[in-house]
Amino acid sequence: MASTLFRTIQTHSFMLYPTTLLRRSNGVFYCTMKSTHSQTATQEKQQIRVTPQNQQNKAKTLDKIAKDYEAIIGIETHVQLSTLTKAFCGCPYNYGSQPNTSICPICMGLPGALPVLNSKVIESAVKLGLALNCKLSLNSKFDRKQYFYPDLPKGYQISQFDIPIATGGYLDVDLPIEFGGGHRRFGITRVHMEEDAGKLLHSEDGDYSQVDLNRAGVPLLEIVSEPDMRTGVEAAEYAAELQRLVRYLGVSNGNMQEGSLRCDVNVSIRPVGQLEFGTKVEIKNLNSFSSINRAIDFEIARQALLYSQGQGDQIVQETRLWEEGAQKTITMRKKEGLSDYRYFPEPDLPEVILSAEYINSISSSLPELPEMKRQRYEKMGLSMQDVLFLANDMNVAQFFDATIAKGADVKLAANWIMGDIAAYMKNEKLSINEIKLSSEELAELIASIKSSTISGKIGKEILFELMAKGGTVKRIIEERDLVQIVDPSEIEKMVNKVLSENPKQLEQYRGGKTKLQGFFAGQVMKISKGKANPGLLNKILIEKLNAKS
Amino acid sequence: MGSKGLLLLKGVAPPKKQSNYIFNYTRTRSSSWSSKTPIFRECSTTTATTSSLEPPDVPRLAETARISLSPHEVDEFAPKIRQVIDWFGQLQAVDLNSVDPAIRADNETENLRDDSPETFENREAMIAAIPSYEEPYIKVPKVLNKE
Repeated sequence: MASTLFRTIQTHSFMLYPTTLLRRSNGVFYCTMKSTHSQTATQEKQQIRVTPQNQQNKAKTLDKIAKDYEAIIGIETHVQLSTLTKAFCGCPYNYGSQPNTSICPICMGLPGALPVLNSKVIESAVKLGLALNCKLSLNSKFDRKQYFYPDLPKGYQISQFDIPIATGGYLDVDLPIEFGGGHRRFGITRVHMEEDAGKLLHSEDGDYSQVDLNRAGVPLLEIVSEPDMRTGVEAAEYAAELQRLVRYLGVSNGNMQEGSLRCDVNVSIRPVGQLEFGTKVEIKNLNSFSSINRAIDFEIARQALLYSQGQGDQIVQETRLWEEGAQKTITMRKKEGLSDYRYFPEPDLPEVILSAEYINSISSSLPELPEMKRQRYEKMGLSMQDVLFLANDMNVAQFFDATIAKGADVKLAANWIMGDIAAYMKNEKLSINEIKLSSEELAELIASIKSSTISGKIGKEILFELMAKGGTVKRIIEERDLVQIVDPSEIEKMVNKVLSENPKQLEQYRGGKTKLQGFFAGQVMKISKGKANPGLLNKILIEKLNAKS
Repeated sequence: MGSKGLLLLKGVAPPKKQSNYIFNYTRTRSSSWSSKTPIFRECSTTTATTSSLEPPDVPRLAETARISLSPHEVDEFAPKIRQVIDWFGQLQAVDLNSVDPAIRADNETENLRDDSPETFENREAMIAAIPSYEEPYIKVPKVLNKE
């Protein structure tokens, strides 16, 4: 049942990699042979790689090279908050609205308009800062980050430069089992509030572009990590954990596809043992967790190759784009010099002041965070695989918690949720809150099976009906007369009947065809309408079969 | 009109005495959540080693503000801008040894807004004021790279 490993129930871009794909160097060379638009785990697993011998040798050398270097990876994440209105004006924000319909003088940067901060933005920032174990700045301010670009109406972005709202935290992460598992702690340098820019679309041919300002002014939280990650897997899991966190906190829906969670990655490598960092390269255009993983692996291999060939100076500090199609990073046009953003304090906004009471009230309202949940589930005796699955989606965890709160056996509840229930949800494309099964009924079902009122097989049937139509376990058992037969004399009667009705098979059995036991068992099940207790049935059957010989 | 843009100066630097405060201080009035760590403040401007302020790099200022100036105008504006800087430079005479740096100068209350949507009622007027509008987008020249 739990053998089909479902990483999540809702659509989730993080994919499963078979371990053979893990060797970084292999990933580089075989990427071009992969079907580029496939995004499902099953498709990836089914790929057959045909490699000529010299490519394999090259891959082995790369592997060796990569082992001599240590990768230093840091991630900058922008989280788009799911507030009802924008950061500095009352315009609503809805992903996918008609362009330029949610605008006002403030977010359009028209002369004379003044920003007014949305209180929910501070609340979200404090929630996230606390969840990331940061120190909160009781006094912080906004600054103007100035540059010219068509999607930036004011000519500056309101952000926080030198005094962010939160600094110096960490995030605890559990690496997936299929990548070796393990626990990591990654540092968080800072979290700050800022506003998003509009959307810029470039025309195919023409010498013009198009701007949609619906998104201009939407609040963002920027999370900067310490350069603590060392592999693509660690980086991808960090991003996945941030997604889990913002969803648990309810501050964002954390969708990489929608752009409500954006990650830029900084990668550099240095020879093992060297203290100095190597040249840092930024990678943009990462649209899924697996892209993060693959892009980093590619970049590490690219840099390692250059270093090993004595061409380390060809690695320059630049921004590269990840090309999903070609599965490689390419240079953007190189910038001349660093940008001068001319930061200065935003004169139109007052200081952001946090009181201890405010922080405490938010702190006490935080839900149980993913890491806490995972630790609690581990203590319950669940395997790491179960733990990672159940704690991944907050709604699933809630359902699970409710089920065991009603007394259901922990391991059985986990198995049902991860197996049949997850499969159903995936098929019907429903979330756990949308299926008609309630946690009470699941607990009831588990109890009924445990008490042998019904058999496991019948339980599965009932489950299906409960998920599709709802209802209660008790009622279904009554209506369809599904109570298991556990009376030995009743079963004996049925066994005798079957044996007497099938003399030919009985003789064959006695003659040595012991496989026919299954046939008899099936027949008894048939006349009992599936209600005979399998264990008892087989016990009595064997007795009868062997007795008369 | 362009003078407002030119006021964003590169060369404004704090005097020597004050620079100590910028890099390492503990705040007494309002501390960060963990009161033991000092707040490090990164300056976005360069610190001058002399007590006089750097003269303005007018061509660079004009470039960053996207204002075109003829060489004649550069020569004309440079001393005038310098005068303005030096006028502000009088502030350097103040002894700030015993003063904590403030984050902001005002003492306003927080001025926050509730998270409730309000549609702006005159969208048509805003759209009408856009120089090149091609329904539903604002049409702009193609710019590929930021800055």
